[in-house]
Amino acid sequence: MIEYIAEMPSYTYAVKAERLLKSRKIRCEIKRREEGCGYDLHIYNKTALSILDKNAIPYELKK
Amino acid sequence: MIVNFDNAATTFPKPRSVKNSVYSALEKYGSSGRGGHAIAAATSQAVYSARETAADFFGAEPENVVFTLNCTHALNTAIKGIMKNGGHMIISGMEHNSVARPAAALASEKKISLSIAQIYPEDEKTLESFRNLIRSDTKAVVCTIASNVTGQILPYQEIAEICRSRNICFIADGAQACGIIDIKMSQGINILCTAGHKGLYGITGTGLLITDGKYKIPPLMQGGTGNSSQSLVQPEFLPESLESGTLNVAGIISVQSGIEFIRNIGISKIFSHEDRICRRFISELRKNKNITLYRSPAAEYVPIVSFNINGMKSEKAAEHLAEKGYCLRAGYHCSALAHSQLGTDSGTVRFSPSIFSKESDSVQLANEIYRLSKNKL
Repeated sequence: MIEYIAEMPSYTYAVKAERLLKSRKIRCEIKRREEGCGYDLHIYNKTALSILDKNAIPYELKK
Repeated sequence: MIVNFDNAATTFPKPRSVKNSVYSALEKYGSSGRGGHAIAAATSQAVYSARETAADFFGAEPENVVFTLNCTHALNTAIKGIMKNGGHMIISGMEHNSVARPAAALASEKKISLSIAQIYPEDEKTLESFRNLIRSDTKAVVCTIASNVTGQILPYQEIAEICRSRNICFIADGAQACGIIDIKMSQGINILCTAGHKGLYGITGTGLLITDGKYKIPPLMQGGTGNSSQSLVQPEFLPESLESGTLNVAGIISVQSGIEFIRNIGISKIFSHEDRICRRFISELRKNKNITLYRSPAAEYVPIVSFNINGMKSEKAAEHLAEKGYCLRAGYHCSALAHSQLGTDSGTVRFSPSIFSKESDSVQLANEIYRLSKNKL
């Protein structure tokens, strides 16, 4: 399964994104970034990214 | 016997659910937005839930809800942020010192120019005051939704519309209105500042700054935000950009619990209850010719009543009433501008009930005031 890692600008946006995706039954999880302080959203479904875009949730795709 | 009628300062007592939420938060939570361990994650989720609750209550996005230390902190952040690069600002003549002092400080430092709009009982006259002061370089209007001295509700939605039509940032002080009247960002408010410990029934040390996101607010202070820590530049994203340092997690949870308490009862029921007590109190005071009431039939009010016993200093009156067990606030209520407009040189005595107040207590208080006014004479 392909894993997408979205670097979130803050924990607030990470939780907002997580709750939005989970409300649509899309699996994802917040993880502490491996380097530097911050939080990433790990996503396993590419359509999740378009949902974040449509809802104007900022992120940077790491992988 | 202690009867609190000083709820405009801080609501007391707090709902049982709020007290329980604080205890529970202290049992379960640590720091929010820091670290990735179980306690940090649970805390961060809880704080986000509180943001969602507040956002839903005021019609905002969760990320646009900034938790502050109190309303003064929120107002200073908004005023000093929006006016950072100078310009002209208008404040109402009913503002609390949490608006008037930062505005006056910026003006005395020659960083901004400042105008003060006269407030009248008639809304149209008040609106004309604001209209007449607007200039081409006016950047912001700051206006309380309801005066903390008299309780007068200002025509904030109409002022917001004046601002919107001229691209002026409208900052509303909701300290005496939130939880009492239904305030929504969609009423034209760009930045809403309020206390968590008054009408929202949270604990002291809590406040909220809520923005519609139209105007960028530079931070009042910089520091740790839990993300991008390798950079010396303060992150730009709300709410963390304005929330440097460890949050008051237990306080934030208490505000969430307070909002839920209000929702369960209903804002209109809370207003009706407190307004009924005020009307009864006023009708009792009106039987006494030695009382001056600071209310006009032309204006609308939140449940606050300001009065004076003729010939007696407000502080002296409050002191006597405190000896009988009644807690009321006297003096200037940190609102020199409002008292200047009212012409109350030695302040007023302020009566402010909460959802827990009883009409019978207000009648007994009025009787005590009657006795006090007679004994004085």
